[in-house]
Amino acid sequence: MPSNTRKQVDVVFDGTFEGFLSVVHAYYYDGILPRSIQCADEYQPAIIQDEYFIVTSHNNAKKVATAISKKISIDVKRTAQYAFLSSPPDRYDALFQYIVAGFKIGHTIDNHLQNEIVHRVQKLAREVGREAHRYTGFCRFEETTHGIYYCAIDPVNHILSILANHFADRLMNQSWVIHDKKHHEAVVYDGHDYAFVNVNADQPPPPMAANEKEIQGLWTMYFNTLAIEARKNPKLHRQIMPLRFRNEMTEFKN
Amino acid sequence: MYAKNDKMIQLEQMNVLNDVGGNMDFAERLKTLTEGAKYDVACTSSGVNRKGKRGAVGSAEACGICHSFTADGRCISLLKVLLNNYCEYDCQYCVNRRSSDIPRASMAPHEIADLTMQFYRRNYIEGLFLSSAVLKNPDYTMENLIKTLALLRGDPYNFNGYIHVKAIPGADDALIRKLGTLADRMSVNIELPSEQSLTHLAPEKSKSSILAPMKYVKNGITQAKEELARYKNAAPFVPAGQSTQLIVGATPEADSRIVHLAQGLYKNYALRRVFYSAYIPVGNDKMLPAAPTPTFDTGTGLTHTAYGPILLREHRLYQADWLLRFYGFTAGELFKDENENLSLHLDPKCHWALRNLDKFPVEVNRADYAMLLRVPGIGQVSAERIVKARRVGKLDFTNLKKMGIVLKRARYFITCNGKMAEKINMLPESIELRLTDNHSAGPYGQLTLTDLAHA
Repeated sequence: MPSNTRKQVDVVFDGTFEGFLSVVHAYYYDGILPRSIQCADEYQPAIIQDEYFIVTSHNNAKKVATAISKKISIDVKRTAQYAFLSSPPDRYDALFQYIVAGFKIGHTIDNHLQNEIVHRVQKLAREVGREAHRYTGFCRFEETTHGIYYCAIDPVNHILSILANHFADRLMNQSWVIHDKKHHEAVVYDGHDYAFVNVNADQPPPPMAANEKEIQGLWTMYFNTLAIEARKNPKLHRQIMPLRFRNEMTEFKN
Repeated sequence: MYAKNDKMIQLEQMNVLNDVGGNMDFAERLKTLTEGAKYDVACTSSGVNRKGKRGAVGSAEACGICHSFTADGRCISLLKVLLNNYCEYDCQYCVNRRSSDIPRASMAPHEIADLTMQFYRRNYIEGLFLSSAVLKNPDYTMENLIKTLALLRGDPYNFNGYIHVKAIPGADDALIRKLGTLADRMSVNIELPSEQSLTHLAPEKSKSSILAPMKYVKNGITQAKEELARYKNAAPFVPAGQSTQLIVGATPEADSRIVHLAQGLYKNYALRRVFYSAYIPVGNDKMLPAAPTPTFDTGTGLTHTAYGPILLREHRLYQADWLLRFYGFTAGELFKDENENLSLHLDPKCHWALRNLDKFPVEVNRADYAMLLRVPGIGQVSAERIVKARRVGKLDFTNLKKMGIVLKRARYFITCNGKMAEKINMLPESIELRLTDNHSAGPYGQLTLTDLAHA
């Protein structure tokens, strides 16, 4: 479709990956040319703005997802899924351009590292992957009075879904909750399935089980004992264990 | 044999592993047994992928996961602890040696298993790293390690996470086999890089008693892999491979000897990792180098002991190790000239490049991947990016920067379309000057994460 027949608008979608893929679908089939793309949560209407709400369609999203895998590559689909979870305000615009370029160029799109959009989106995806990987190690669970293990995190990116996958496999037989304080969201696992819920900003942490303090004490003691005095290196320590992660970590709390 | 100290006699009488405790409480014993284990630097949890299982606890990720970092910058991924520290041996470099004046303690298998589960459920750790002092004899010690791992892997614990265990030199092959079916990674520490040093400082150990179990484990791994290719349900044996540790600076061996030894271990014993541990004095023994004399800093009011040089040497050895494993270098290439030791001043790749300037500059648009890897400042990630990107267009320095390639060091060794980044004399001295000029942070400020973490 030639671009002069397209309608240039500020697109708003529901914030889900399916919703985003529906935006891509609307571009190719409904003549919608996004000037900007925002999700409903973050959307702030301006006075002069030509906004357009995209209705999420499961079928359209599925079509686009299949097309990305088949016509571009599986790697590009994975990169898109990860970059989607990143946090800069213009992430959706970059991702949109990346996918459109992918359909034009095909599976070699990822070789175009000199291209700013390609480099940017890959970098976003890498950052999401890296943060999620760090949190697979840095999450700290506390046993609550109900026998549920509770963990609070404060991540930059929306990594909850990646963590949910990881811990549903690893801690398959215990109930747990991971609370993303930054995005006011939590994932709840009951020993079989998990679900995402919204959490109020002022939600207090649940009360701890009786022996929890004792175990935390043992861990903190273990952690402190392991350091070798002669090798202490605070600069290196800050580099590999940035302060922002430490707030919710048992061994740094006391 | 050797005179037994009172603690050990007392221990034998009370059959330590069934009746633990003495007068120390659990936390104190944990502290003592952590103190005894912490000088073993390996704490990686990598090398094996294993999904979770219904009814069991845990999984494993081949890339390894760091759960925390100690104040000295080392990754913590496993609960690293000794079963006991009552040692029959008197290895001079070891904090747990018979003659060392330290508190002694032990833990029962169920205590280790309980603690591992409590820590694992809270995501403090990726698994267990279990080691032990040699109590009574190697076989007896191995049996206790097996007992502990079997308990943890079986009902009711059903632990499915990562386990790294030490094999005890001199133990029976059948015991090593049994232990290897319970663990993911096994290691035997060589500790001292030559037979003479071993005889001198670790009289109860010998080169052959250390290499024998390594050979056995290597063959076991090969065999298990073959079986696994044929039968779906073949039992795994040390699936994450084996590793070892060398102590650096306790004995006079030069870097060249250490790196050649590491190369031999990777080649002939298929080791996954060789770890290097800068010797930090753990007692004042006359057979070993003393700690550097502490100096008092009037500015900060703190006493400072200069471990910098030995830690930097350890860092250089890790860099050389990386060159062997990932960059296609051989030990012979790194020590071609008269130097027996790695340069402390320059990293080993820069050092090699300056002595082989006839191979540079390298044209980024044409050079093969193996040659790109040899350019100082270009690692695997950068080399891969260059190879990908040049398929779709010629690269210049601006492109390289945009792609996230760091040119700080690489700029003196590459051309883009025949042009260098700046006009320089291709002489070792002039490039060396440029390379070291902006190191105002001093030579000790360059440790990076990759040097410390994964296999």
